[in-house]
Amino acid sequence: MAKVGVYVCHCGSNIAGVIDVAAVRDFAETLPDVVVARKDLFMCSDSGQEMVKQDIRDGLVDRVVVAACTPRTHEPIFRAAIEKAGLNKYLFEMANIRDQDSWVHAHDHEGATEKAKKIVASAVAKARNLEPLEDKFVPVTDAALVIGGGIGGISAALELANMGHKTYLVEKRPSIGGVMAQLDKTFPTNDCSACILTPMMVEAYNHPNIETLTYSEVDDVSGYIGNFTVKIRQKQTYVDWSRCTGCGDCASKCPSKTPDEFNMGLSDRRAAYIMFPQAVPKKAVVDIEHCLHCAGREIGTLPKINEKTGRPILAPCERACPAEAINRSVAYDPAGAIKEVEVGSIIVATGYQVMDKGWFKEMAPDSPNVITALQLERIISATGPTEGKLLRPSDKEKPHTITFVSCMGSRDEHFHTYCSRFCCMYMIKQARLIKEKYPDITINMHFIDVRSAGKGYDEYYTGARKMGINIFKGKVGGLEMLPDDRLRVLAYDMEAATGIEYESDLVVLATAVELPQDATALAQKLGLQFCGSNFFRELHPKLGPVETATEGLFLAGCCQGPKDIPDTVAQAKGAAAAAAVPLAQGKVRIEPIISEVHAETCSGCGICIPLCPYHAISMTTYADRPRAQIEMSACKGCGVCTSACPSGAIVLHGYDESQIFAQIEALTA
Amino acid sequence: MRIIQDKINEAVSTIMAYGGHGIRNCVQCGACSAVCPGVRAGFPLLCRNLIRHLLNGELEEIIEDASSWGCQACNRCTEVCPQGVRPQEVVFAFRRYQANQLAFSTSSVTSQMNLFETGHAVYTDPTEARKKVGLPEKTPTSAFDDQAKQEIQTLINNSPMGELGLF
Repeated sequence: MAKVGVYVCHCGSNIAGVIDVAAVRDFAETLPDVVVARKDLFMCSDSGQEMVKQDIRDGLVDRVVVAACTPRTHEPIFRAAIEKAGLNKYLFEMANIRDQDSWVHAHDHEGATEKAKKIVASAVAKARNLEPLEDKFVPVTDAALVIGGGIGGISAALELANMGHKTYLVEKRPSIGGVMAQLDKTFPTNDCSACILTPMMVEAYNHPNIETLTYSEVDDVSGYIGNFTVKIRQKQTYVDWSRCTGCGDCASKCPSKTPDEFNMGLSDRRAAYIMFPQAVPKKAVVDIEHCLHCAGREIGTLPKINEKTGRPILAPCERACPAEAINRSVAYDPAGAIKEVEVGSIIVATGYQVMDKGWFKEMAPDSPNVITALQLERIISATGPTEGKLLRPSDKEKPHTITFVSCMGSRDEHFHTYCSRFCCMYMIKQARLIKEKYPDITINMHFIDVRSAGKGYDEYYTGARKMGINIFKGKVGGLEMLPDDRLRVLAYDMEAATGIEYESDLVVLATAVELPQDATALAQKLGLQFCGSNFFRELHPKLGPVETATEGLFLAGCCQGPKDIPDTVAQAKGAAAAAAVPLAQGKVRIEPIISEVHAETCSGCGICIPLCPYHAISMTTYADRPRAQIEMSACKGCGVCTSACPSGAIVLHGYDESQIFAQIEALTA
Repeated sequence: MRIIQDKINEAVSTIMAYGGHGIRNCVQCGACSAVCPGVRAGFPLLCRNLIRHLLNGELEEIIEDASSWGCQACNRCTEVCPQGVRPQEVVFAFRRYQANQLAFSTSSVTSQMNLFETGHAVYTDPTEARKKVGLPEKTPTSAFDDQAKQEIQTLINNSPMGELGLF
């Protein structure tokens, strides 16, 4: 007979403020096989855990039920405690009376108390039927994958590589660098973005432990912590990168123009192009979608021969390339190549995009002089379309009045309710850089309020006031287009409680930070979840900021939520440290709460195989007949196969039939 | 100003009861006031500032202010509000409160009386202007139609407006 100990937690006032803990304890004492029932202010405290351990050591209990917060955060804590006291750690069951009871029924004390009793009865019923289980271990591939080559991905990859772990750095664009490479300078120190980022890009690219795969995307991920198999699609560049020297001659001869993504559409690039002057690797790509196939040079066809000269007629890019890296006669596969790598852990650092101005109809988006802040960043950058000269797009003249508008699409229930967090600071940075260079320009900044939390940030903001930048509290309500591409600003001064109306030459919108659309497809491949703000969800908002619900999968940077460069780098290094843990340990624990097929009972119908979301089930031959079998290391213990098996041949350890029926019986008693 | 929670609660619940359901959503960003023609015309207590005073519990203190009657009902505030306050509804709720307390501005009493007497809130004698352009002197509207006028008066007398005792 089982000897069940029940321990009811007050959780301070989280539980005891709603539920009558003493009544639940008294009730637990009356349940079958319960030998002791106790309560404590905080069961997870040292004294609380010690109470459980002492009962185990005294031989009083051999099954433990803790009625408390949530197994999500605290099951591992109590399992470790009972293991220390010498009991198999799977002889533990948690009754969730906080997250699923006191928090949701805060206004119904009596009802919540009755529900707590049922939850405890159910947990005890299961605990009586628990069997000891043993952890299993599998070896780990000592390598990591970092998806995204912005400052977050680069920082994480360098950290892992410096710890001695082989790291694959995958970037979808032709160069690493991310959004930071597009920035002119960075707050609050006005460091030149390229000057601090480029050396890191070079270091990562040349690191002996880092294999950088640019113009590449993750195609498929299978496996589990310690043993992921990743298929990486290296998109077709139509340029032999082993020969390309990055001279850019192909780009200068290519006649096809398309908006330059790096300059946020403010200038054109060619179909054959190098992403930006400091690109790493500095290699050319032929963007086949915009390629004109000059001289009829379709990819994979032989050139026509000039009848007079007898020489082949080549496309300008081919002719221009001094390294013979462009040869359109090669039958390149448009799908590119698939590279398969094995890694033990994965860091996702895919970054963000800013909203397009087209969303904001009241903000005269059709005016060329209404731009996003990232476009302004390109305008003031020395590598940008105007080589750093501040010229407004409509007439390439210097603006006399510039308006900055905050919170476009952020803190707005029509778009995103969250604060994008770093817009206030980069707007102040842009205003300061412009004011420093052109003191005669009038700069008007409009904020709902200025969010300058960070080291040195508020001083940077008050400094902007001292420089003569006009700062108004009050959101801009609209812009009106006037003749000659001028703009009328309809604003409001909240402090003076008066409307503001003036003409402006250039209006900069701080549009919201959001996850790029292609992130959804990646999430599906990786099994990532989304949070309420539609960023990737971390395991715990406070205590698990780099982990995800999938073990071995970590997050860094803006894909987890808006954050500035210092926070991104900090999180990336944190993610690298967490991702290195399984690699350093060399083995990972597989929880025994997984499914197993009883070969004697299995009819070999195969229903379970397509149902398994983890592709863990395959067919084998047992006693000359086909039988299902489950790969232990791939099974996540979801139980889909168990519930679907018509023969009842699959058992989910830790949730077997006797345990679940006992729970149902207790709940419906 | 002192912060008195009971007064704040009373102001908020009064405005909500009169239809200004979104008042508590307001984060005081000021976008509504930036586009408000009434604010531009110089009415001090519209949109953002009206909501601020109401959220301070100053219901009685501002009851005589005529700003709310300066609202042109253009609803641009509702379009630009990022928090779903529907500021125009708050302005109208405050008007209803003022009306029920018989705290009309003179401008609004005139238009109410016009509406009751002619069926037009804004009414000027059209006969001269119409004669000049060769139109019949009388407009084909309630102003010159006794039955229509009577029906309008019946409707007003049987609406909450009728209970105000203005007519």
